[in-house]
Amino acid sequence: MTVSARGMEITLSAAAVRFGDFQAVHPTDLTIRAGEFFSILGPSGCGKTTILRLVSGFLDPSEGDVLIGGRSMRGIAPSDRPTALIFQNLALFPLMPVWENVAFGLEMRGWSKARRRARAIELLTMVALGDHADKLPSELSGGQRQRVAIARALAVEPAVLLLDEPLSALDLKLRQHMRTELKQLQRETGITFVYITHDQGEALTMSDRVAVMNAGRLVQLGTADDLYDRPANAFVATFVGETNRLTGRIDAVEGKRARIATPEGPFVAPNPAGLGVGNHAFLFLRPERLHVLTEGDSRANMLAGRLVRRDMEGAFSTLVIDTGQSHVTVHRVNGGDAPLVEGAVSLGFSQDAGVILPLGETAND
Amino acid sequence: MSGRGSGLILRVYMALFFVYMFLPLGIMVVAGFNAYSPPSVTVWQGFSLQWFGELWADERMRSGLRNSLIIAGSVIALALPMGLAGALLLGRLGARAAGLLYTLMVSPLLTPGIILGISTVIFWRNFDVAGGLFTAILAQTTFVASYAMLMFMARLQRQDATLEEAARDLGATPLQAFRRITLPFLRPTIATAAVIAFLQSFENYNTTMFAIGGQHTLVTEIGSRMRFGLSPVVNVIGILFIIATITCAVVWAILKERERGAANGASA
Amino acid sequence: MTELRRAFGAPLSALIVFLAGVWILGLIAAPQIIMIEQSFWTMQRPEGAAELSVRIDALYNRLDVLALDHAAAADDAARAAIDAERVEVQGEITALEAQESTPVKTWTLSNYAQMGQAHLAIFAKTILASLAVTAIAFVVCYPIAFAIAKLEPPRRAAMIMLALVVPYAINELLRVFAWQMILNYSGPLNAALGLVGIGPIPFLESGTGVFVAMVYAYILFMVFPLYNVLETLDTNQIEAARDLGAGPLQIHRRVVLPHARPGIAVGCIMTFMLSAGSYAVPYIMTRGTADPWFTQLVYNRFFQATNWNVGAAYALSLLVVCTGFIFVMMRLLKVRLKDIAK
Repeated sequence: MTVSARGMEITLSAAAVRFGDFQAVHPTDLTIRAGEFFSILGPSGCGKTTILRLVSGFLDPSEGDVLIGGRSMRGIAPSDRPTALIFQNLALFPLMPVWENVAFGLEMRGWSKARRRARAIELLTMVALGDHADKLPSELSGGQRQRVAIARALAVEPAVLLLDEPLSALDLKLRQHMRTELKQLQRETGITFVYITHDQGEALTMSDRVAVMNAGRLVQLGTADDLYDRPANAFVATFVGETNRLTGRIDAVEGKRARIATPEGPFVAPNPAGLGVGNHAFLFLRPERLHVLTEGDSRANMLAGRLVRRDMEGAFSTLVIDTGQSHVTVHRVNGGDAPLVEGAVSLGFSQDAGVILPLGETAND
Repeated sequence: MSGRGSGLILRVYMALFFVYMFLPLGIMVVAGFNAYSPPSVTVWQGFSLQWFGELWADERMRSGLRNSLIIAGSVIALALPMGLAGALLLGRLGARAAGLLYTLMVSPLLTPGIILGISTVIFWRNFDVAGGLFTAILAQTTFVASYAMLMFMARLQRQDATLEEAARDLGATPLQAFRRITLPFLRPTIATAAVIAFLQSFENYNTTMFAIGGQHTLVTEIGSRMRFGLSPVVNVIGILFIIATITCAVVWAILKERERGAANGASA
Repeated sequence: MTELRRAFGAPLSALIVFLAGVWILGLIAAPQIIMIEQSFWTMQRPEGAAELSVRIDALYNRLDVLALDHAAAADDAARAAIDAERVEVQGEITALEAQESTPVKTWTLSNYAQMGQAHLAIFAKTILASLAVTAIAFVVCYPIAFAIAKLEPPRRAAMIMLALVVPYAINELLRVFAWQMILNYSGPLNAALGLVGIGPIPFLESGTGVFVAMVYAYILFMVFPLYNVLETLDTNQIEAARDLGAGPLQIHRRVVLPHARPGIAVGCIMTFMLSAGSYAVPYIMTRGTADPWFTQLVYNRFFQATNWNVGAAYALSLLVVCTGFIFVMMRLLKVRLKDIAK
């Protein structure tokens, strides 16, 4: 490994950003651990890019502070921070050959031409582009340009690498491949990665931890499993992964669970928010946690309906069930022993399969 | 971008630049309303519109204006078809021929105006045609057609080639396809090109001065007046020019704004 | 050509080729070629003109002799013979005289050689001054164009550029006229200088006026191309460079200026061409009191000295310099013609 760097911790302490009347980021406390792969996930306009610009230094917080490695970054220029930024459009310099792009930071630091070229080739070799040093960026493929941008950022030996949706321009296959590469690169270098994305797939697969943002606020912070299985609010439940949403009123509370009366029937599910009897609430059900019951099968929660559509998705099928009140989506693994479903079906799910959350903004509103 | 200090310096610098650009025009305008002649802002003899009246009564200015309009109309009528023909031709030639042709067609823009005037007069003298409105029209057409060609070329490059093919596929002859598909697509550019051609022709001095022989246009007449001392009548012409320009700019801005509004309304 | 016919059909293709042909050959190429041709010849008295005049003199003498003979002639027959000879000699004289006075077209470089020391100095001064105008315009405009394109919000930038269209669209003569007023011996500038005890300075008479007015008249031809090209620069490029440690100077040297090359080329070419080929500015600003610009010499060759061959040679010299400047700029900035003409 030729890049020697240790990641640094990043702390936002009550950091907020206002543009005139518009509160782009509400006061936010957040600690990104040294050497972790951290993602900030959210729809466009949620303030995630603003946070990235706070950390990189292109923007100063209106209130609060940003600390990197325990040091306040107030008044410190982007070039003097231990960060390097990878832009959404990569911002490779189109008129410079690849190696000059990679060596640009070193050139600015006064390295001799021979030294910086040698270093650039070393970095390019690391990202498997050693033979492309003298080409222009326009002569490379999308994935190759991506790697040039990474090499260029790594050349200045940052402790923190900031990535602003860098994969959004790539096609699906390449995007998935680059996820693996990025994750591996992060492990090898030990640099703190802060990854901005609106693509939950990217965030969930690569990150150690993910922060979900909505409308300038951090709405949940946790591992991929936390976000998917234990969403803290309606927004996260609907933004991350697919889900069915039923609306009802809580009519019984039993320990950590509650029973919610919905038009589809009464169901028991975890009640992490501790909602009391009489509260109106959402019940969220993941499609793969719903099971099509065969004769004689039973679950703690059951509902009946008619199959209206089946979409073959490869490994599984998406079934759309009309319950009479709403349409419910079910994911069903395709396999030899799973008989085809037709007509009237009965669905069931365990008492821990769903989650009851307070009413609130959802991602599809 | 750069530090706060350099940002301030840049702003002051920009403000100075604007003073530099507009103050001379302001002085010209003010002097046009001064009763004093020669035009002055240092000696004030009271607000007056008398120079407007003198301009109106000026026979040579009026005939110059008439010549300017005749020339501009003819230049539009010649330069637009020629420029369009050039642009259409370019799109249908091989790379090498197109490159050569393109160079020839833009060369008038890279040639000093007086040379265009001189060469036209020299050329036509061989046919015993002396300098006059005719040579002025031809000399101006030479470079105005280049502007038209560039504008048409830019527009044609944005045309969806399959539209014409679709028309042909549906049974249109090439002529019909051109008339029904390409020409309507070019219409906004034809209008813009006509405006640009008019301005280029109307305001031209260098080429016209050398090509027009004993005749005169409004602008060459202004030129010869200035040579023989300052007259507030020229200030008045300047005021009229400024009013016309500002009007055009404002109309343009309003149209643009309305276009944006329409686009926003459509997307909302 | 087949491609053309397939796209537009025969009649329309013919019209297109005809119109483009008239323009390119009739309006662009032919006049230039004739001008070049004209610059390489001159009308001279024919070779051997001296011998001819000797012969004509001899023939006139012969006529005189014949007249005497005629008076002394003895009879009608002799007189008729003399008359016949007189007619013949007269005819020969007419022919020779015509030959003597008809100038012959002679190929020569002498039209160019006519540019003596004085004219050559004016030629050089015109070019140097135009280069200076170009350089000043660039230095003044680059920060302006950059500030408008990259530091102002897009809508404000559009408004500023629209405002700049006003001085840009106002006739060159009127812009010059404004400066003629300002720099006049009794103008506001001298009045202002007078308040602090300087001057008055004869700006117009010293040639300074030409220079000042020229910068003013053509500076906007530098602003617009620079602005247009800088507007297309991705702001991320600047931020990326800054993030990697580049200072303001380095950002401009390595990122902004390289990107701006086509705009710099257009701006410089236009400014230089307009300055070197300017007739209005020196004509109006100097009112004949300062050294003329080269274009004025050209005008004089044509319309005062009426030596069109020399005029063509002068005009061509100017054209060669301007074309040369275009090539140098294209080479220096590594841009192609397509990047320039937009």
